Amino acid sequence: MKLEMFHLAPYRGLPEDFREKYRSVWVDVPSHLFDPKLANQYYNETLDELVYGAEMGYDGICVNEHHQNAYGIMPSPNLMASVMARQTKDVAIIVMGNSIALYDPPIRVAEEFAMLDCISGGRLVAGFPVGTSMDTTYAYGANPSTIREKYAEAEDLIIRAWTEKEMFSFDGKYTQLRYVNIWPRPMQDPHPPVWVPGAGSIETWQHCIDKDFMYAYLSYSGFKRGKTVMDGFWKVANAAGNDNPYQAGFLQLVCVGDSESEVKETYGPHIEYFFNKMLHVYPGFSDSPGYRTIDTIKAGLMAQTSTFGRAGAEYQTWDTLIEQGNVVAGTPSQVTEQLKSVVSDLHIGHLMLLNQIGSMPHELAKENIRRTATEVVPNLRHIWDDKPEYVDKWWPSGAVTRAGEGVAS
Amino acid sequence: MSSRILDVNGGQFQIDVAESGSGDPLLYLHGIAGKQEGDFIAELATSHRVIAPWIPGFGSSTGSEQIADFHDLIYLYLDLLDELELRDLPVVGHSLGGMLAAELAAVQPERFSKVALIGSLGLWDQDNPVLDFFTVPPAEFAEAMYTDQKSEAALAIATAPQSKLPEVDPETDEGKEIIDYYVERAKSMSTAAKYLWPIPNKGLSKRLHRVTQPTLLIWGEGDGICPPVYAEYFAAALSNASSQIVPGAAHMVHVEKPGEVAAIINKFLST
Repeated sequence: MKLEMFHLAPYRGLPEDFREKYRSVWVDVPSHLFDPKLANQYYNETLDELVYGAEMGYDGICVNEHHQNAYGIMPSPNLMASVMARQTKDVAIIVMGNSIALYDPPIRVAEEFAMLDCISGGRLVAGFPVGTSMDTTYAYGANPSTIREKYAEAEDLIIRAWTEKEMFSFDGKYTQLRYVNIWPRPMQDPHPPVWVPGAGSIETWQHCIDKDFMYAYLSYSGFKRGKTVMDGFWKVANAAGNDNPYQAGFLQLVCVGDSESEVKETYGPHIEYFFNKMLHVYPGFSDSPGYRTIDTIKAGLMAQTSTFGRAGAEYQTWDTLIEQGNVVAGTPSQVTEQLKSVVSDLHIGHLMLLNQIGSMPHELAKENIRRTATEVVPNLRHIWDDKPEYVDKWWPSGAVTRAGEGVAS
Repeated sequence: MSSRILDVNGGQFQIDVAESGSGDPLLYLHGIAGKQEGDFIAELATSHRVIAPWIPGFGSSTGSEQIADFHDLIYLYLDLLDELELRDLPVVGHSLGGMLAAELAAVQPERFSKVALIGSLGLWDQDNPVLDFFTVPPAEFAEAMYTDQKSEAALAIATAPQSKLPEVDPETDEGKEIIDYYVERAKSMSTAAKYLWPIPNKGLSKRLHRVTQPTLLIWGEGDGICPPVYAEYFAAALSNASSQIVPGAAHMVHVEKPGEVAAIINKFLST
């Protein structure tokens, strides 16, 4: 079992009345709400928290890409990852990832990921998301009707740029290059493991199986509703004769404290900030025409695959969020027990945990990171150790593997 | 009205072509919401043989996945017109179809005797932007399209759920109906987005001067998608244009006032 700490670099300084006053945290979030002095603080605290997560014992640390928003202020996760590559020694650096359809030419991603892989000594996980509707079709103006095709072409080009021994020409529909010959090339052979963060399209399941990529379901709907989607993935995987849990990952929000009442009091306001402000996306931005595939609509999975577009929805309270499974919170042993069932219900080998959530101050985030990493993570790490047939082929070769180092109590 | 499926470009495309009426041929190119245009086409068909192909992604035309951009669509239509042996005829286009009509007339001016553009897209002015109708709330979209908010067509748009649907079960009749509606909408809107996203000027402003035949610009006075000021922009770029603003109508002016708009066009074509 691998446990990774996910970080969004949330913009924590949104005003009290944000939800009432503004229609969206993404795309047209008013620029006057951005304070560079606060951003200076948030970026540095984010980097500190990521390093701290590595020090406290997480197997990997994850950063991701978003544009024109206060939900996560990392338009370039590679900049953050390059700091991680220097400041950490053995953890996986998981860039979750680069929206490959947005880069012209997409070999820019092949190059930057190769740089990160070389700097980190082969610790990079290469995430290839399509990207949200807000990021890709609105903030970057990508055409929703062709973005998935462009994504597929970019993926093909990047993998070839990493693996082909000789220079080649690429005559694509979206990219034409006479000379493909990237320098540097990745340290990992044949290339960094590819993780595909999926949320909006069921075709991704088959794609991950066909290409032997890792499927990571990132949503905030929690493990209860996430099961519909993960069951869908496993149905496709099992049909291909595959049941290796390491090919699947899931994201879960976690708060650890001394008692249920203390946890509610300490984390409640920050969790409510996250669900009610950071996911406050104007519905029109969350689903541009053609962004969602016809098969996903036909499968009736519109709701399950809609993470964003909550603006106008009811205010979500701590109690509801706990009840629905959006957040796993409690004492270390309570959280451990819940996460054990998440792992077994969803049949996953990678669990990504979000410890810095919403408006948490730095010290509280660090406390949550420390307690999760030292009092929960060690009790989950060995879940799959008794199944040696499950090999994690999706882990970077230069990163440490802590599972199998002795079974915890 | 009759309808036939035409193989174009060695069967790469199957184009659904509706035909009605008799007399001199007239090419009609539909816009972003082509399904409510029956009355208007019937009015035109009283004096012309109206040929109305569906853009792949709309109606039962296929091959949308083989069209990368507006450029490809223009050449598909030139192939289609060759296949139909249509030359020296007038073209009428609404909205997205107006943009296509103007592009076709710029590429092959000699093919078209006259051009009528209704609420045409294709140009862009930052200070008077075309509405981002892909993104606005359903009620706002309805107001931009239709004058009468109580009309069936306006209500159909205004009451559509936006984006985040409740969980639906594809096994139930109700679930199926919702899903079918979304599949149809996703197909036609994503087709429109292919040509109009994110800004609906794909170079027409550089080519419009090539359209030198008599051109008529018809706009609904209350057009909230492409405001009537765009008629002025088209007129300024064209050497032989006249315009007519129709009061009491919005973007779907030809659906709201089919007789009036057809009469304006017939008068233009007969003089």
